[in-house]
Amino acid sequence: MVIYDDIMYWLVFIFAESHPYSDWIRGILGGLVIGAVFGGALVMVYLERKFLGDIQSRIGPNRVGGRYGVLQLIADAIKLFTKEDIIPANADKWLFIGAPIVALTSGFLMVAVLPFDYLLINGSYYAVNVTRMDISILYLEAVSGLAVFAIFMAGWGSGSKYSMLGGFRNIAKMIGYEIPLGVSIISVAIMAQSLDIVEIVEAQDFLWNIMIHPLAFIVFGICLVADVGRIPFDQTESEEEIIAGWATEYSGMRWGLAFFAEYLHAVVGSFMVALIFLGGWNGLPIVGNLYIPGIFWLIIKTIMVIMFFIWTRGALPRYRIDQVVDLGWKCLLPLSLLCLVWSTIIGLVFG
Amino acid sequence: MTHENTQITSPPSPSEILLHLGPQHPLQPGPFLLDLKIEGETIREAELKIGYIHKGMEKVFEDRTYIQIMPLTDRICYLASNANNDVYCRAVEELLGIEPTPRAKYLRVITNELNRIQSHLLGIGEYTTDVGFLTMFIYMVRERESIVSLLEAITGSRLNHNYARFGGVANDLPPNYKSMALKTLGEVGKLVKSHDEMMSSDSIYLKRTKGVGVLTDKVASELGVAGPPLRATGVEYDLRRIEPYLVYDDLDFKVITQQDGDVFSRVKVRLLEIQESIYIIEQCLDQMPSGPYKQHVTPYITRPKVGEVYTRIEDPRGELAMYLVSDGSNKPYRFRIRGPAFATAQALPPLLIGTYMADVAAIAASMDSCTSEVDR
Amino acid sequence: MVLKNYLLTLRNVYTKSVTRLYPEEIMELPDAFRGQQHLDMDKCVGCGICSQVCPNNVIEIVKSGKWYPQFDNGHCLFCGLCIDFCPNGALSMTKHFELCSWDRQGTIYRPEQLSVPNKAELEGRTGGYTK
Repeated sequence: MVIYDDIMYWLVFIFAESHPYSDWIRGILGGLVIGAVFGGALVMVYLERKFLGDIQSRIGPNRVGGRYGVLQLIADAIKLFTKEDIIPANADKWLFIGAPIVALTSGFLMVAVLPFDYLLINGSYYAVNVTRMDISILYLEAVSGLAVFAIFMAGWGSGSKYSMLGGFRNIAKMIGYEIPLGVSIISVAIMAQSLDIVEIVEAQDFLWNIMIHPLAFIVFGICLVADVGRIPFDQTESEEEIIAGWATEYSGMRWGLAFFAEYLHAVVGSFMVALIFLGGWNGLPIVGNLYIPGIFWLIIKTIMVIMFFIWTRGALPRYRIDQVVDLGWKCLLPLSLLCLVWSTIIGLVFG
Repeated sequence: MTHENTQITSPPSPSEILLHLGPQHPLQPGPFLLDLKIEGETIREAELKIGYIHKGMEKVFEDRTYIQIMPLTDRICYLASNANNDVYCRAVEELLGIEPTPRAKYLRVITNELNRIQSHLLGIGEYTTDVGFLTMFIYMVRERESIVSLLEAITGSRLNHNYARFGGVANDLPPNYKSMALKTLGEVGKLVKSHDEMMSSDSIYLKRTKGVGVLTDKVASELGVAGPPLRATGVEYDLRRIEPYLVYDDLDFKVITQQDGDVFSRVKVRLLEIQESIYIIEQCLDQMPSGPYKQHVTPYITRPKVGEVYTRIEDPRGELAMYLVSDGSNKPYRFRIRGPAFATAQALPPLLIGTYMADVAAIAASMDSCTSEVDR
Repeated sequence: MVLKNYLLTLRNVYTKSVTRLYPEEIMELPDAFRGQQHLDMDKCVGCGICSQVCPNNVIEIVKSGKWYPQFDNGHCLFCGLCIDFCPNGALSMTKHFELCSWDRQGTIYRPEQLSVPNKAELEGRTGGYTK
């Protein structure tokens, strides 16, 4: 829409660049992006509690903030702030304190390259993101590996046997799942002939990537659920055997930050799925945008992917850790190599 | 090699950890201590210690009159309280020399079977949380609510029933009970069947449970394990068939067995037994005679004759038995309870050696032991 | 493979939830429900049988004109034996179960307190079981 494009242009270029306080303005806009991302994770937590309640024949929060309990998360955050902050005597203090910080950092670094829209302003195209890199897909892969590091810091630094077992399980799982995660994305990038995420989305203006390359979608989806650590792959924090896994010794807002980082990772992961496989800001497959701004399409698709993750959480049991490692090395790694073969075939046939 | 309770014999070497699945743990239905020596993720040695919830029930019962003991036998295992009441009542009735009225026999069978259904539902529900299937727990508990409401309509209380009296029962059925019960039981039966089909076809669940924690029939018979763990190994041992009490010889039901003896079979036996119990209740509601439901006057001071008696019942967990010695006064001389969960708890530690940590939760929960009954 | 799981859970989204919204809605209690006992002072003869059958020594016979039972709700099991064995039917069951108090003295119910209609019946919070 013309008015929307004009507003964005004015906001980004005129107001931000040639204004005397442009540095301050850009800082405030960056803060707004962080706030929006926080808001996205809060929405996901709320959706999870309500939708999981629907699956399980119960209602979720319904007391705080009216009939639908929208302010329940604020009440929980206030409660977490007022709890006692305990650091165990056996703990390695700097590792213990640093683990949630590293986890959140990796989440926010990933947000830095996610594009939200692609606008035609005054004859040239501009992408709405914080930074534009040529290799954004590889950068996303690398930074999501930091989250593994954070969980191991938490597990080792807590000084308790349960946390250590949780940390070991996470490392064992992620060693097997990083490779299929990367290879499936590379096979999609080969078809779009660029590693820039904006180019990959722009290459989907006629057909979505999920229709051309469904195998990569399946491999990437399973590896993403394993990377984030949700059921059926949440052995690192399974309550039954190792009490809360790597987060056993955390209390108060440190725990809140650790789990917030996990939800943030899940939201960013669903953004990636919506951008790379579901067409991003191009609306429907053949019809196009239908005059609605692209950012609304992107948000709707992300919410659909999030609901599918929550549905999976409600429906499936949990794997054992050796079965998870088996699945990664024996099943997903050959499938991801098949993805490469498939995208080469598509490239040769269709040019 | 005899099947003994294993012990941790040496301190852990540098590559092993000694982990306490200790008295407080989210996995347990009650406090017990399970010490595990773990190398990596595999278990090398295991030791089980009980006694954290010993209340001294048998000594307390020596100081109460026979009718005062009746509400306290509910609390031996709070999930199978009707079975506890019934076996105690039959023991005292044998010493007193009286028989319950015909209608009371049918009422006791109905409440026994309802009790069995709700205990199995909760046992399966707790087991599925340990496998990671959190939604199934809520579905099982939701089904259990309907059954518990049916029990509440007859006895007045959801969990501790206190229903049997010497020579009869405490309350009669309320009006319109038969139609309400048949409707609820039909719905519960359909839902349990669909859950059974789902669990048998779920590939993640089958991978977690098939071939895990196999208990052979020889070992189970030697240890005195009875109930679903024994019937899952292929032995057809059900006290309702072997030594029929109340009206079980007039009713038509099958004894459910499976062949493998692993975790999957034990849970499958429980799921099928729920459906069989629903069939028994429907028959009872059809066949029940009218008449008095208790003796004309139930005395509140009972003085049984001098003697001793040993009665057994098919508890949801196995074989529950009571041994009662009376010396002619109004309080028992010796009261001994043989709890089924004690035998299944003994069978647990040798099954855990060589398995993974995640299997400990699945195997322990599939045995469905009630710690309150282990310790009494 | 795992398809039945997804279908079953999706079907459950459309069924009604089973949460009870206590304390706004109270659930239906059956007629046989064992709540707080009610004493009919005309029928009671002070025989003391209820005190003898109680498993927990909850009932104490006190003098208030004649001799009547007094209940200690802090230790009561609500087993119903006192009601079953009363020879004249002076004790009966009500559906009152919200029995908290702020101090220990409030848990001991004297005979006069037991013989009047309790708060639950006055407010109509007893539910009914009329299927």
